Amino acid sequence: MLLHELIIDENNMGFIPSLGTSYQLNTTAREIINLIKQNKSKDEIAKIIAEEKGATFRDVYIDVEDFFQKLKIYGLIQ
Amino acid sequence: MKIALSGLNNTDNPAPGIGVAKSLKGFDLIGLSYDVNEPGIYQGLFEKVYLMPYPTLGYEEFKNRILEIKKDNIDAIIPNLDAELPLYIKYQDEIEKLGIKTYLPSLKCFEMRDKSKLAKFSEKLGVKHPKTLEITSIDDLIKATKELGFPIMVKGNYYKAYKANNLDEAIECYYKISNEWGFPLLAQEVISGIEINYVGLGDGEKLVGGVGMKKLTTTELGKVWSAVSIKNEALFQASKKFVETIGWRGAFEFEAMSDGKDIYLIEINPRFPAWVYFATSLGVNLPQMMVDLMNSKEVKPALDYPDEKMYVRYVEETTVDFKDFMQLLSKKEIQGEKNV
Repeated sequence: MLLHELIIDENNMGFIPSLGTSYQLNTTAREIINLIKQNKSKDEIAKIIAEEKGATFRDVYIDVEDFFQKLKIYGLIQ
Repeated sequence: MKIALSGLNNTDNPAPGIGVAKSLKGFDLIGLSYDVNEPGIYQGLFEKVYLMPYPTLGYEEFKNRILEIKKDNIDAIIPNLDAELPLYIKYQDEIEKLGIKTYLPSLKCFEMRDKSKLAKFSEKLGVKHPKTLEITSIDDLIKATKELGFPIMVKGNYYKAYKANNLDEAIECYYKISNEWGFPLLAQEVISGIEINYVGLGDGEKLVGGVGMKKLTTTELGKVWSAVSIKNEALFQASKKFVETIGWRGAFEFEAMSDGKDIYLIEINPRFPAWVYFATSLGVNLPQMMVDLMNSKEVKPALDYPDEKMYVRYVEETTVDFKDFMQLLSKKEIQGEKNV
């Protein structure tokens, strides 16, 4: 999974050293990627973010699902 | 040591000669050009520039011209253009007998990496290759589009490659390339992924130096305008295997696509690419290493370099005497004003 190669700098810019591709992230995207790297499931990630942001699990889950789709489109996860 | 080199174009379709010349600043350099409009002639890199006969005129024409130029005591030539390489490679022994060194692959090696033979060759290297069909007629093209579907790449055997999304576009590309560069053409399956490239130098047995990069922006012709250095193990191993498997001697550029898992070999150019100076600026001076190998000097492998470095081309301007241009047209040679 290419995502494991992703290096994120202090400005939330992600970079894959083997392919030279870069990605601009926001803090939530960065947090989700870090949680994926810790092998958290989609449910677990949505729960953690929902608690942090004080939002409903359902709303956050939809956004997390959408973000996973984007990662797939970019080829960062299978 | 006096070194002559070709490929002096420096427009949005840059040739490798300028990058090679900038890498060999410490040497006396002679420019070999096919067109008085090539900007590199006027950049102050060469002590003299000669116009050359087109390679299609054959070896005798070439030899006569080289013998005229030899009066400048040229010790070596680095050819940098695809269209002239078959001639240089075929006659490298004869050129050597004229007292001019080259550092080129054998004709057999050169032909093994021909675009039309890459399918078999990529198997040897353990990499994938997009399905490719040779085409010499519109009928062939139509058959190829039925087999490969759309989009499809239509490529010249030496130069130019266009993506076509339907048959009309494919036919347009077919004529555009064949009118300029002749036949055969190639129809190739489109691979989705990220294009990554490796410039390297083989000594006939092993890879002695190289740098990997990914293009960030390109010109309309697909030539790199900015890039970032990368370290891709699969790309490095494939390039290494290429040199070791066939005993490649000389410069090369390994062009590949990566889907993040597999490497697809797109083509292997038998020369330095136009971005060779990127490698030099990262501490891997491949033209210098080539000259050392020509002189049978021991060359320390240079396979390590910093990644995440950015290569940026930019436009520069200069002013020269118009009489230089006129003289090159009429006398086919000019004294350069080497300023670097």
